[in-house]
Amino acid sequence: MPKSLFVDPAETLAPGKITFKDIPVNAYNKTIAEERGRFSDDDLVRIYRDITVLREFESMLSLIKTQGVYNGIETTYPGPAHLSVGQEAAAVGQAYLLDQNDFSFGSHRSHSEILAKALSCIHKLSEQELMTIMEGFLGGSALRATEKLGPVSDVKELAIRFILYGTLSEIFARETGFHKGMGGSMHAFFLPFGIYPNNAIVGGSAAIATGAALFKKVNGKQGIVVCNSGDGSMARGPVWEAMNFAAMDQFHTLWESHNGGMPILYNVFNNSYGMGDQTRGETMGYDMLARIGSGVSPTQFHAERINGFNPLAVIDAMERKLEILRAGEGPVMLDTLTYRYSGHSVSDQNAYRTKEEIEAWQAIDPIITYRKGLVDAGVTSDSKMEEILAETAERMTMICKAASDPEVSPYVNFKTDPAVVERMMFSNEKVEKFDDREPEVNMPLEEVPAYKKIKEKERCPIVNGKPVSKMKLFNLRDAMSEVIYDRFYEDPTLIAYGEDCRDWGGAFAVYRGMMDAFPHCRLFNSPIAEAAIVGTAVGYAVSGGRALVELMYADFIGCAGDEIFNQMSKWQAMSAGILKMPVVLRVSVGSKYGAQHSQDWTALCAHIPGLKVCFPATPWEAKGLMETALKGTDPVVFFESQRIYDVGEQFHEGGVPAERYEIEFGDVNKVREGKDVTILTIGAALYRAVDAAKQLSEKYGMEAEVINLHSLVPLDYTKIVESVKKTGRVVLVSDACARGSFMNDVAKNITELCFDDLDAPPVVVGARNWITPPFEFDEFFFPQAGWILDAIHEKLVPLPGHVVENGCTEAETYRRAKQGV
Amino acid sequence: MANAVIMPKAGITVESCIIGNWEKKVGDQVKIGDVLFTYETDKASFECESTAEGTLLEIFYQDGDEVPCLMNVCAVGNPGEDCSSLRPEGETVRDAEETEKATEAAPVAVAEIAPVETTAVSGEKSAASPRAKKLAERAGVDVSLATPTGPNGRIIERDVRTLMENPVSAQTAVKASSAPMAAEVEYEDVKFSGIRRAISKSMHTSLSTMAQLTHNTSFDASAILAYRKQLKASEGDCAGITLGDIVLYAVSRTLLNHPDLNAHMLDDNSIRLFKHVNLGVAVDTPRGLMVPTIFHADEMSLLEISKAVKELAKECRDGNINPDKLSGGTFTVSNLGNMGVESFTPVINPPQTGILGVCGTVDRVRKGADGSIQIYPAMGLSLTYDHRAVDGTPAARFQKELCQNLENFTTLLAK
Repeated sequence: MPKSLFVDPAETLAPGKITFKDIPVNAYNKTIAEERGRFSDDDLVRIYRDITVLREFESMLSLIKTQGVYNGIETTYPGPAHLSVGQEAAAVGQAYLLDQNDFSFGSHRSHSEILAKALSCIHKLSEQELMTIMEGFLGGSALRATEKLGPVSDVKELAIRFILYGTLSEIFARETGFHKGMGGSMHAFFLPFGIYPNNAIVGGSAAIATGAALFKKVNGKQGIVVCNSGDGSMARGPVWEAMNFAAMDQFHTLWESHNGGMPILYNVFNNSYGMGDQTRGETMGYDMLARIGSGVSPTQFHAERINGFNPLAVIDAMERKLEILRAGEGPVMLDTLTYRYSGHSVSDQNAYRTKEEIEAWQAIDPIITYRKGLVDAGVTSDSKMEEILAETAERMTMICKAASDPEVSPYVNFKTDPAVVERMMFSNEKVEKFDDREPEVNMPLEEVPAYKKIKEKERCPIVNGKPVSKMKLFNLRDAMSEVIYDRFYEDPTLIAYGEDCRDWGGAFAVYRGMMDAFPHCRLFNSPIAEAAIVGTAVGYAVSGGRALVELMYADFIGCAGDEIFNQMSKWQAMSAGILKMPVVLRVSVGSKYGAQHSQDWTALCAHIPGLKVCFPATPWEAKGLMETALKGTDPVVFFESQRIYDVGEQFHEGGVPAERYEIEFGDVNKVREGKDVTILTIGAALYRAVDAAKQLSEKYGMEAEVINLHSLVPLDYTKIVESVKKTGRVVLVSDACARGSFMNDVAKNITELCFDDLDAPPVVVGARNWITPPFEFDEFFFPQAGWILDAIHEKLVPLPGHVVENGCTEAETYRRAKQGV
Repeated sequence: MANAVIMPKAGITVESCIIGNWEKKVGDQVKIGDVLFTYETDKASFECESTAEGTLLEIFYQDGDEVPCLMNVCAVGNPGEDCSSLRPEGETVRDAEETEKATEAAPVAVAEIAPVETTAVSGEKSAASPRAKKLAERAGVDVSLATPTGPNGRIIERDVRTLMENPVSAQTAVKASSAPMAAEVEYEDVKFSGIRRAISKSMHTSLSTMAQLTHNTSFDASAILAYRKQLKASEGDCAGITLGDIVLYAVSRTLLNHPDLNAHMLDDNSIRLFKHVNLGVAVDTPRGLMVPTIFHADEMSLLEISKAVKELAKECRDGNINPDKLSGGTFTVSNLGNMGVESFTPVINPPQTGILGVCGTVDRVRKGADGSIQIYPAMGLSLTYDHRAVDGTPAARFQKELCQNLENFTTLLAK
């Protein structure tokens, strides 16, 4: 809602019509003879060689998976093989003009894309550059393994072996793979050649690739981004979200010196099938896929439908699209027609297509037709072609032998090193800034009006014995803002976005006033597209920047489920630690707005390995944790509660320090000392627990120790166990629905760690397992101080004279569980 | 400045002691060396002498309280001096204070903690929380005697604390709830002494955890009676050697041929065999049974054994034996012979694997080699052994060898 853009009713309501440009379909019609001036004979032959390398690679895997043997080498592996036999020419054509500054992202069927781009880079790079890259990768260990394959006279040949061996070892889950086998077939990649992660989730790369393009655009980096996917992915919402994100008008209207289209190509290798469903004619309605661009942008994404069976047609299209992208007029789209002879996977029985259909495509296989074209045009001879085939098969046999030999290519040894994956889960680094350039800002920090206002606030809720007025009190929201300002002025790559982050200042005003300080390219409104918000942040981070993004309500986590649970959480370990994921995802737990806007979903996030999860409940916690999160290199889901944005610091002595400080993830915050019972809390429930502790003291002479778990993952149990061993009793309180809540996990661990010291089983007091009713009935749904007393009375230690209001008897436990409520 | 007197540590294995009686009261003048109070471990009782001079200002623990070793027990100083800093952090005092405070601060909290009405079937044991069990074990109280006040009739920590502070009333509470109110009390509840508690626990553990059985046999005591007579007639120390000493000597020389009986059961799977015989000797004392140890009895002469037994028995009866002498036995001998017991079932002192009961001598008849009826003095021996460690035949073999050695005692002495 920028004020600068006037929504003019006259213009808005004026009559008119929407027109479309024609979309070219298989327009390329040149012969090889005609193209001999454009390509050297060597180039034309090299294109053929690259196709054969890709074909041999996929055929080898097919044989291994179906027969357990390739050229006499008996081997197999249990992992997936989504092969692209038939699609190789399209991949080679796409990669032909790309270099290592261009990033490519792919899908579950991307072996050919990886190898084609690698071969293209090997051709373009000097021997010196290649040696530097290979020596530098994983400390040269992959190169050492490749050198063992045998003597080689030529660095380029060494590099080809290197890339084939690294990829195949990765597929075979060997430690010598590019990512120690932790990624495997569907996630192989090689960053030094600009080959970025491929993705086992259909369309999963769309938002990530878009984030990489955002990184290039914001940070002025060279190169473009290619997002490869199959036609089946065009049905997925996150793909549309990503394309719309990339097409946003603000890149042309509001980004001032950074105005210009996103440097991204959405390329679809259209083989007519999404697994077994036929897209055109059955599951989609677009008739021709290239039409999709027209639904997203008036540029129609400059879309074209091209013949992917002709590598020269693909190169021709790529040349024109790259020109558009470099001119800042992206995004662009290619509907690259191809065909897969192999099944979706090796278990595919081809029940959905006829033998005739497959044979008809095989009859025009580029391996045959392109070769014939070269020989007919006199570019090369049949014997030269045979030589290439023989050389390719020989090289692949050598690679396969080495990659399947456990002596040469060992597995990661979980027995001698059981923590091998543990070490990959988090990078645990601290990085002040990801680039040394001056951060782009509109004015010096000291002059930013909103920042000055924060600095003038009282950091203690009581000054000279008098409570500070709400307006003057430094609250939880200010605590986060303060750190975010500071970090924006330190790390030039830090960007923040989400719904209504800029002019509105964020729905809960954490970014209030920041639009004065930061240009659009660092703080902007995203579309209402949670999958794109998180997915682009993932792409931005793996490309080398730091992203702070917001989902407004925690309930919207579901809309970004794949991006949070499969992408943000997993790439550090799936890359064996090569990728870093400095993403802080702010999510706010609501109140007052009913069942779809009030949920604490900490348990969902804590359940997923690879995410750090925190939930500050006091300004002191919020400031320290945000500082840590925005300096780290790990993905953090940063929970906030709308009930407590206005609270001042009631527990930390001296209020919130004005200076910078960090709170380590894993630590807990003891806010009250006691000896009779321990109350553990998450989120805003802290304040109800403190109230309960007060009542326990006044009415029953019991002193409760209250500890807030501001960090859920990781979590250091030392202080918790210390407290519970002292008191022998523990109540765990949070606003999450009790069933499957994080507190249940904590309770289970406490039972294990303190069993002999417990005077009663730990009691979890959570919200009911219902929808959240309207705010008027909050006290019947969310844990209240009285519920805590009731739980203590009924389950830990009867309180003399206590009258139970909210029964939690064993009979109730049985009944509720049986009814699922 | 006021000084604290601490609970002495009466041996390396002693963790806490129970105060017997205070000999001094608050306000009394005390000198260094004055007896302040008596205290007992689970095995012996002692007197605590004052380590400070002045007025007894405050007593932190009362008669019958269990006090961890090295904890401050009382304060001695000048009248009127503040000694609050010397008060121990111990549970008893602190809890009492805090209860007071809580009562002041919360006069509305009227209700007393009431025993929980349980729906449990009568006779079913109340469940106890792990914390309550742990505390009860540490304090040496029987958790099942606690009156449950926790949820679902569970015995919780505070119930054990109540039991520790006031064991009598807790027991009466249980009885009161299960029986009609008695019009007149016709009995007296007596709190066990530390020694009694230790015996109770040890004997119960012994019988409930082992596979014990007893062989009764007897031997012709003519030889040892004659030898004893001879010794008695001699002058000097040897005149004090008793029949019991002679049996102890024979046991110390026989046992090493039967290592499974000179042993400790370590767990269900292993046994520790000793290279020397450390004989436990059961001694009756006014406070109850005590078992001091004669270390390396196999290396001692008969006279040395005799002297050692006398000395240990005196220390036990006087209640000043070093607790370290009350453990470490590898086999025990218990003598009820002088009480006229003809055979009995001695109870093994865990973790030992055997105990020999020495019985009285009775006249028996037997058919002599020439067919004549002979009367001879037969002395009974009752051997209890742990069948987990030793089988019947090897046990009987030990007994047989012991009998032979006693019947030919002078030959044994010569060896």
